[in-house]
Amino acid sequence: MKMLKYFIVGIMLALPVQAHEMVPTYPRLEQSHMDGLLKTTMKMFNKRADVEYYEIGVFDKDFKPIPFVTAYNVFKLEYLGHVTFDIYIRAQDKNRAVYICSKSKLRKDNDTKTAISSKICSKFKDR
Amino acid sequence: MIKKTAVILGAVLVPFASIAAEVPITGTVESRCIIQTDTAGTFGNPNAYTLTTTAADGGDAAVVRYDVSLADAYYAEITPPTQFSSSPSLPDAVTWTGSVSVKTVSDATGMGSYETDKLEVGATDRYDLTATGSTWFAIEAEATMGGNKAFAGGTYTAVAEAVCIAK
Repeated sequence: MKMLKYFIVGIMLALPVQAHEMVPTYPRLEQSHMDGLLKTTMKMFNKRADVEYYEIGVFDKDFKPIPFVTAYNVFKLEYLGHVTFDIYIRAQDKNRAVYICSKSKLRKDNDTKTAISSKICSKFKDR
Repeated sequence: MIKKTAVILGAVLVPFASIAAEVPITGTVESRCIIQTDTAGTFGNPNAYTLTTTAADGGDAAVVRYDVSLADAYYAEITPPTQFSSSPSLPDAVTWTGSVSVKTVSDATGMGSYETDKLEVGATDRYDLTATGSTWFAIEAEATMGGNKAFAGGTYTAVAEAVCIAK
């Protein structure tokens, strides 16, 4: 029975999958080159062939949005593409900002009948 | 003459050869949560006024897999669809029911209690991912048209949300 379970898990792991990942899990804020702005750097990898766009957000502990700046809030990331991006927040928001999230954006013309929106949230260190 | 040319060519090419030999491949290992969409899911249409992912009715549950490389560092929050993201015109209000359950785990000992320990907050199920490894979650959904009216012909798409949140 145990062997059968391992076999099923093995088969499932071998199947083609579509993944969304973002690191680091616990980013640190550091001083940017501008006064009053803090910066952190995130990396993303898109292994979802059905997703081309991702949206970035910064949130407090209750998932209320916090103002931030990055190159593009919604950016294109090709299948199997990597991207490294900087996020800037105001120093006064340092203690409010808790999560950085990336969310997949699905096309409306997606022809599957149920789709899965994925979202990954990293948490600022020491929150 | 040939000897001289060979010496000059060798002197020119040696530095290039040494550059070509030093192509670095770097990688970083760090803790992460990866969300994998194994099955997008499909609706079966057992009668005119129901769309369901139940296998017995011709549907397929959506399956999503979470891989975590750090124990006790993430929550999985999964919400079945509560509306259509695209559909033909709807003649009446649609009632949604849905459920999320653990389908398979890679570590039966460490993950065996995920289903019993889950927290239901509204339509969302929250799982505490206390062990490293992979967990597959099945997402079921059913849409029933009000007044037993028929769904119009066309493609219906509904979106389930899978979230991984660092603790």
